[in-house]
Amino acid sequence: MLLYISRRLLSAVVTVLLASVIVFAAVQLLPGDVATQVLGQDATPDAVAALREQMGLNRPAVLRFVDWITGAVRGDFGVSLVSGEPVAPTLWLHLRNTMLIAVATIAVAVTSSIVLGVVAGLYRDRWPDTVISTLTLVGMSVPEFVVATLLVLALSITVPVLPAVVLDEASAPVVDLLPAVVLPTIALSVVMTAYIVRMTRTSVIDVMASEFVTTARLKGLGTGRVVVRHALPSALLPTLNVIAMNVAWLVGGVAVVENVFNYPGVGRMLLEAVHNRDLPVLQAIAVVSAAVYVLCNLAADLGAMALNPRLRTGERSAR
Amino acid sequence: MPRSPGAEGAPPRIPRRTALLGGAGALGAAALLPGCTASGPRAAPALPEAAATGTTADGGVLRMARPPASQAETLDPASSLSAYEYLGALYSRLVRMDAEGHTAPDLATEWESDDAGLVWTFRLRDGVRFHDGRRFTSADAAYTLRRIVDPDLASPQGTVLGPLIDPSRVHTPEPGVLVVELTTPNFEFPALLTNYNCYVVPDGDGNTIGSTGIGTGPFRLDSFSPGGRGRIVAYDDHWEGPPALDAIEMFSMTDIQARTNALLAGQVDLISQTNLDFATARVVEASDRATIARSVNAQWYVLPMLTTAEPFTDVRVRRAMKLAYDPRHVIDVALQGTGVPGNDNPVPPGTPYWTDYAVERDPDRARALLAEAGHEGLSVELYTSGYDPVFTPMALAYRDSVAEAGIDITVRNTSADSYYTQIWMQKPLMSTYWYTGRPADQLLNQVFRSGSSYNETAWANDAFDGLLDAARATADEDRRRTLYQDAQRMVVDEGGAMTPMFADRLVGISRDVLNYHESGFEFDYLNIGLRP
Repeated sequence: MLLYISRRLLSAVVTVLLASVIVFAAVQLLPGDVATQVLGQDATPDAVAALREQMGLNRPAVLRFVDWITGAVRGDFGVSLVSGEPVAPTLWLHLRNTMLIAVATIAVAVTSSIVLGVVAGLYRDRWPDTVISTLTLVGMSVPEFVVATLLVLALSITVPVLPAVVLDEASAPVVDLLPAVVLPTIALSVVMTAYIVRMTRTSVIDVMASEFVTTARLKGLGTGRVVVRHALPSALLPTLNVIAMNVAWLVGGVAVVENVFNYPGVGRMLLEAVHNRDLPVLQAIAVVSAAVYVLCNLAADLGAMALNPRLRTGERSAR
Repeated sequence: MPRSPGAEGAPPRIPRRTALLGGAGALGAAALLPGCTASGPRAAPALPEAAATGTTADGGVLRMARPPASQAETLDPASSLSAYEYLGALYSRLVRMDAEGHTAPDLATEWESDDAGLVWTFRLRDGVRFHDGRRFTSADAAYTLRRIVDPDLASPQGTVLGPLIDPSRVHTPEPGVLVVELTTPNFEFPALLTNYNCYVVPDGDGNTIGSTGIGTGPFRLDSFSPGGRGRIVAYDDHWEGPPALDAIEMFSMTDIQARTNALLAGQVDLISQTNLDFATARVVEASDRATIARSVNAQWYVLPMLTTAEPFTDVRVRRAMKLAYDPRHVIDVALQGTGVPGNDNPVPPGTPYWTDYAVERDPDRARALLAEAGHEGLSVELYTSGYDPVFTPMALAYRDSVAEAGIDITVRNTSADSYYTQIWMQKPLMSTYWYTGRPADQLLNQVFRSGSSYNETAWANDAFDGLLDAARATADEDRRRTLYQDAQRMVVDEGGAMTPMFADRLVGISRDVLNYHESGFEFDYLNIGLRP
């Protein structure tokens, strides 16, 4: 068990490191560099050259990467090439804001999708299943920004009850941001729910057909008890991973939705950093996202262990 | 000098890849509002001509959505990263440009030169105070000029004024008089001071002006955060009298769809620096809350041919490219008819020094010229992007129009994100636009003179440069006009820029806004207000 966890932690660190290398390389391949992007075409060639020199962009990429990674290990993500501000505090602020959406979305999406998935699985091929499955297919097929736009049209423009965009900055108090969290949460929940519902449905169908459920039924247990006590824990096992992936996807920056709502989260910060070729910011976001991703997967695996006694008995049988 | 003042012109400011999403969102909204766009008398393309005018409410707060320059933006007017919307509100210039494009008094009440056009004397307005109470004098004006031409500041306008102004020959004989001894004669000098980099800042404030915003304009700074939100409030001691509004709140939104949604939802009253595409404009116009105002002839659209790249090194090929297309067709397709032909002349119609010189379309002559140059059946690539909604339709319409002359154009769409760093001034043929509102002299010198940093066609013609020099040194205005018009004819006949059209900018504003007026780089902050 401990060995398993430490091995997983090690691979997590390697994954995060690899992610930062890949992102660094990818940014080098983007056309244009930060000096030209920052100064724009208003700038004279001399000004661009001076800024490149000042930013140290003329140094070899490998050296710049090594500098950065040694700082990052100490928790210092450097300063933004564009604003000149330290990256870390800004990133935490944006991460906090994205967490608001993420937590709300997880609460809404996970709860509703498990309920819907179980219902669909239990009523397999009957009308509740048909309705739920059709809706989830639609939810999966429509891109987030379309859902977002329709929500804005319905709830901000036609019936103006919620803000269409966030006017506040990243540093705004959480209370001020709350109304602005609602629409992004619904938009993301629609997409996220669809995947979890389908996973839950499939696994409920599998479990309900399994021998131990049949045994439980034969013992004379009521359907409700069979489902909640016996079937559900097993059915949720494979679902956990899907949920973990979705959570990671959320925290890693729901860039498109944040952009539509002008929401000051990690996603929008990421888009702006890519646009400005702001390497330190980009790297920091990539590493933090990778870390969150890895942690979510780790949590899902450990959760699965907790739910399934067979996984707990030892390394051999776990594999 | 900026093709445009801030965001829409300077690439770092908006990740315009998202413009695509904006369009898609607007279409989605349009689909849900079927009755609104084509309802009887309001059928296409009936967009309103101008903003509503009238007596405004006493005070009020205007909320403005703007594309931020970047996280590095500043209130320093001389910078290439200045937060454009704040400038005209916070500062004043010595000389401004009136609605007809003529120079008009601002902080300078009158000006005159010696007979040679070398020594310019400006008489300054008396009793003007900066927002912090300091009195405006010629020392501030001199400091501002010296600062703009300082190479270390790298101001975009520095490349224009630098060759003319020697910092040691800017004199302040009296607090109310500024004397500038130019290094070469220039009778158009005051017009060059109408540029938006030329706003006057207090003497010695260069290092702090980027965050203090202390000027003599109708508003003073309340708060500002780069790339974020800000607020300016009425400056009651403004020399023209206080503005109609109490305050303006500025909100930064990088995404064009977010800006549009904010307007439609009533969260903001005006979208700055955004030329809405036609689909979005109709959705906005159909709303109860918002409408469209036009900034007439605000966009100058160009298809530049790089005269240093094959096959455009040959003037016969350039002429053929111009003779082959029908500007009317391009206007109908790309602007849905709402523009005026440019006749390949960059000077906007109706402005001072403009000439109506035009060459009729002649595909047969184009074909003959190409054959003569050895480029029969010419096949070239035309680059475009989603940076501006008009680029791609303009490119496609041009392609269709020149097919008759046997010219084969392949339209290549590229990333809007890096368009102005990777494509502009690099590819032999591409689409672009500039804001209009530059005096003819600055326009021709900055974009067409040999070696100028914004010479996007890399055209170098000594005769043309000579005409500009002669015009600047000519005291007689009629004679000067003739020279500038000769220069324009050379651009039309020999230059590398095709100018199919000038277009109105479609600006989204709330129906509550009165007296919105914007032309070129001039925004009327004094009279804009809200419905009572």
